[in-house]
Amino acid sequence: METPKIGVYVCHCGSNIAGTVDVQQVVEFAKKLDSVVVAREYKFMCSDPGQNMIKEDIKNLKLNRVVVASCSPLLHEPTFRHAVQEAGLNPYLFEMANIREQCSWTTEDHEKATEKAKALVSAAVKRVRYHQPLETKDVPVNPATLIVGGGIAGIQAALEIADAGHKVYLVEKDPSIGGHMIQFDKTFPTLDCSACILTPKMTSAGSHPNIELMTYSEVEDVSGFIGNFKVRVRKKARFVDEEKCNGCGVCMEKCPWKAPSEFDLGLGERKAIYTPFPQAVPNIPVIDKEHCVYFLRGRCRACEKFCERGAIDFEQQDKIVELEVGNIIIATGYDPFDPTPIVKYGYNRYPNVYTALEFERLCNAAGPTGGKIVLRDGSEPKSVAIIHCVGSRDENYHRYCSRVCCMYALKYSHLIKEKTEADVYQMYIDMRCFGKGYEEFYERLSKEGVKFIRGKVAEVTDRALTDEEKGKLIVCGEDTLLGTVIRVPVDMVILCIALEPRSDAKQVAQLFRISQGADGFFIERHPKLDPVATMTDGIFIAGCCQGPKDIPDTVAQASAAATRVLSLISKGKVELEATVAVIDEEKCSGCRVCNILCPYNAITFIEDKEVSRVNEALCKGCGTCVAACPSAAITHKHFTTEEIMAEIEGVLV
Amino acid sequence: MEIELLTPSKETTDIILEEGGDDLKSCFQCGLCTGVCPWNRVTTFSLRKLIHKAQLGVVDFEDDEVWRCVACNACVERCPRDVQMPLLMRAIRRVIMEVGAGIVPHSLRISEKNISAVGNPLGEPAEKRMDWAKDLGVKTFTKGTEMLYFPCCYQAYDPPTRKAAIATVNILKKIKADFGIPDNSVVCCGESIRKAGAESLYRKLAETNIKIFNDLGVKKILVTSPHCYHTFKDEYPEFGGNYEVIHLSQYLDQLIRGGKLKFTKPLVKKVTYHDSCCLGRYQRIYDEHRQVLTSIPGIEFEEMRDNREYSLCCGGCAGRLWMETKKGERFSELRLEQVAEVGAEILAVSCPYCMANFNDAVLTTGKSETIEIKDLSELVSEAL
Amino acid sequence: MSFEPKIVGFCCNWCSYRGADLAGTARMKCSPNVRIIRVMCSGRVEPTFILKAFELGADGVLVLGCHPGDCHYVEGNYKAARRMPLLKKMLAQMGIEEDRVRLDWVSASEGDRFVAIVDEMTEKVRALGPFKNNFKEAKYG
Repeated sequence: METPKIGVYVCHCGSNIAGTVDVQQVVEFAKKLDSVVVAREYKFMCSDPGQNMIKEDIKNLKLNRVVVASCSPLLHEPTFRHAVQEAGLNPYLFEMANIREQCSWTTEDHEKATEKAKALVSAAVKRVRYHQPLETKDVPVNPATLIVGGGIAGIQAALEIADAGHKVYLVEKDPSIGGHMIQFDKTFPTLDCSACILTPKMTSAGSHPNIELMTYSEVEDVSGFIGNFKVRVRKKARFVDEEKCNGCGVCMEKCPWKAPSEFDLGLGERKAIYTPFPQAVPNIPVIDKEHCVYFLRGRCRACEKFCERGAIDFEQQDKIVELEVGNIIIATGYDPFDPTPIVKYGYNRYPNVYTALEFERLCNAAGPTGGKIVLRDGSEPKSVAIIHCVGSRDENYHRYCSRVCCMYALKYSHLIKEKTEADVYQMYIDMRCFGKGYEEFYERLSKEGVKFIRGKVAEVTDRALTDEEKGKLIVCGEDTLLGTVIRVPVDMVILCIALEPRSDAKQVAQLFRISQGADGFFIERHPKLDPVATMTDGIFIAGCCQGPKDIPDTVAQASAAATRVLSLISKGKVELEATVAVIDEEKCSGCRVCNILCPYNAITFIEDKEVSRVNEALCKGCGTCVAACPSAAITHKHFTTEEIMAEIEGVLV
Repeated sequence: MEIELLTPSKETTDIILEEGGDDLKSCFQCGLCTGVCPWNRVTTFSLRKLIHKAQLGVVDFEDDEVWRCVACNACVERCPRDVQMPLLMRAIRRVIMEVGAGIVPHSLRISEKNISAVGNPLGEPAEKRMDWAKDLGVKTFTKGTEMLYFPCCYQAYDPPTRKAAIATVNILKKIKADFGIPDNSVVCCGESIRKAGAESLYRKLAETNIKIFNDLGVKKILVTSPHCYHTFKDEYPEFGGNYEVIHLSQYLDQLIRGGKLKFTKPLVKKVTYHDSCCLGRYQRIYDEHRQVLTSIPGIEFEEMRDNREYSLCCGGCAGRLWMETKKGERFSELRLEQVAEVGAEILAVSCPYCMANFNDAVLTTGKSETIEIKDLSELVSEAL
Repeated sequence: MSFEPKIVGFCCNWCSYRGADLAGTARMKCSPNVRIIRVMCSGRVEPTFILKAFELGADGVLVLGCHPGDCHYVEGNYKAARRMPLLKKMLAQMGIEEDRVRLDWVSASEGDRFVAIVDEMTEKVRALGPFKNNFKEAKYG
């Protein structure tokens, strides 16, 4: 090994570090450490002058190792590696000491913070001595993309990638794409009809030569890595041959059996063979085994009799399809919160208490009431209360704000005012109208005479105290603007239910090796600067699976995710981490322990040599095999045992 | 004890809306109005809450609070939702005055009756309306006279306030203006009683005056009250009265600019000026007074803390002049502190209500020795 | 002055190291006694690392990984967890109190949990007092 000549640079980060840590002292300490040739301090090491200082020293003092003590390596390691490389050193001959996030920011006591900073610097100096130059490798990127979820996010992303000329597999668990958006009546704040703006996109996605639609399908397994994923998809049996069916709909017409419509949230009915809604894409029905009398009792087959194309296939089985893709976009959306547990709001107890999504269907001209806003008995409501934050902003259910409720509540007010004579009360905690045109919409609705009562509703009851209240639902709570308890007798109550993570979000997260936040939504790589990437390279997220959001934000995210994928496709290759494991075949005893441990099947056993070998393209560098190897034959590049041992020694100065 | 439970009343809200309270719908309860309302310099009064009660139809029409607002427009000046508070308050008061809910304060009821009976709130005989001008040699307006000078009821009857009318006539005579005054058949302009909610009375007053003006072929009206100015200019057209209305301050400013008014006597005094709400925030007339005052030789002019669009109301608009305001809660008294703060010897005003209120306030606060209240017309007249 | 224990903390790159960073970004305060060494996965933490730490004067060792099921490398944290009972047995034989070593899970969004674990660990080790390095005797005795 060449004689190490180490340069140490301690950053002030303005006062972020220097305000707590005695930077001068740390520098003096570093100067005395073994092999340290130079130690300096600077206000902002990440700035150009800061980086130039390192570059100059590498040139003039012939440094061959560099340590920067500043923020988290997750933030600026790439910056400094690049600087070091520009000065002619291998970027891996660099080490960073995190004295901001894990020292100055978490420590109050200046003396203790300074001591800790010294220990972290000493560890980095000791470790960097052992660093070896490493080279990165490229692997090609498969230009096909998998998109999971056929809501507006999935559709948008699919179209963007497909329009750029690349193959997309769009997997949707339901029989049609469209997601929640196709269930909505109007969209705020422009009040354009949801179906009118979405169906053209659905049709394009359905007929696009580059998009392979896989509806009624679910992803079962994912393996591989960025650029080279292998995905197993289960296409559930529709009992209708997709090739033969021409979507004439006779089967649905002739089917004598009915079931509650999932699409209409049980407010309407569908047949046992059905498409969820008339504009379904693809326009190919499915048979619901649970309600089909042929499946239940072995006779009927009316659909089969009337299908001229012979498309009905009761023998159809689930099909497993294997896909190879370079990137994956997850756009699995959200579940609406079930308000039944909030007993006091009376959902499922009082028939005229509706959830927001139910109300969407009630408003919709294609919905169960033909767009008439009516009570269960068919009469028009004279007054409606819209209760905000049901399951949102509530420690008992979800802490977060669902972000869309204020706006759709305003939209409902407008629709109610437009279609009925009813008085509308908004029972809100805060009105959050943050988007473009949203505040203006709020003002517009105010002027339409909607009444706003600030305060979280305590109870919806049918217990009347006065004659006026008889036969009504009485919404009770405090009007916090008056400081008085208020009782509002109404005919209909709409609950603005929270948007919550899909019930299977945990399984999806595990399947794709991405993380969930405390709220259950998938976590982006960086909340501000990397909003659609995940911690797993090549896997992106868009739409409500990342957190509640409205349609404009969802579409923006979907386009962003598509752009990220397209940039990887156009680059054509990805750089593999150099920090992989290598097996010293001389030391390997051929016990194969590592073969079983490796989560990526990156280690294969070479029969004739009786040793194991790591496939560097598959190895993700976790180091699990290294720790487990009984012969100590495996080295984890950049996390070698010497390096870590040296670091341990360093922190314990 | 009975627990007070509030239930919104759509009917009540609808009545307020019908009476012109449409702006209540715009209010999003930010509370800025309460924050800027001058009442909260002297007591507690939540305008915001009152609006919310109107939104829900739960206004207590028997509570004093519905009579508080002086229509000074300080809140309108800054309201983020452009709620026209005076219109909203007027609607609430109409529900009381016109529809019959709630209680009308006694003093307001008397003024209303006076206006109704004799055409002025002071209850003075109608036939003495123009007595103030008896010895001034002013002609009564006849067809073909260029300009009608219309003094306010206070300037006609109230001796201290009357000085402004007399001074105005002096000035007009000096420049040989072709003008006349109305005869005794005219009545109160009605501006304030309208804001107090007496809509049908107002309409009667307006119709009476408009008929007289139109019959006489009046084209141009000079006024010395911002209230007459506001209603003649902005409200009479709705009832068929379309005139060129000019306030004395504007008129004087024009004269001075045109070199038609020459000052001969210097007035060596420190003067400050009180913007009336009705000329200021309502009409955005701010510069004219200041130009007139500063062109009078000898005057040292200084602004008070609250000036122009942030001026503090004297407390007299919207019928408040006629209602009793407790000592300690009078804005005029606060305003005099501001006058004292800048060390002005003269507080110039250009509104009879301001004049009346400040004349009271100098007495009640013991400042009559140090501060003199003068109408702009008086100062100009003295310097000629 | 009270005894300030020295604790070596191993954090995986994907969850717990980010959780530790988040504690800082959110300006949460925690005891400065834990000094973090970043590894790619808690599965990389060899028992010898822990022994080495004690040998070099650590009073405690903290290993933090992703929550079960959240491992960036699918199941490296399970591997780490499986090793722990064995290691603890070994430590017991050497006379190292159980509380001086802790394996736990912190996700990237749990800055508060990171702080709680670090503070708790520091107090536990402080209560145990300095670790007396009698390794050599234990090893060969």
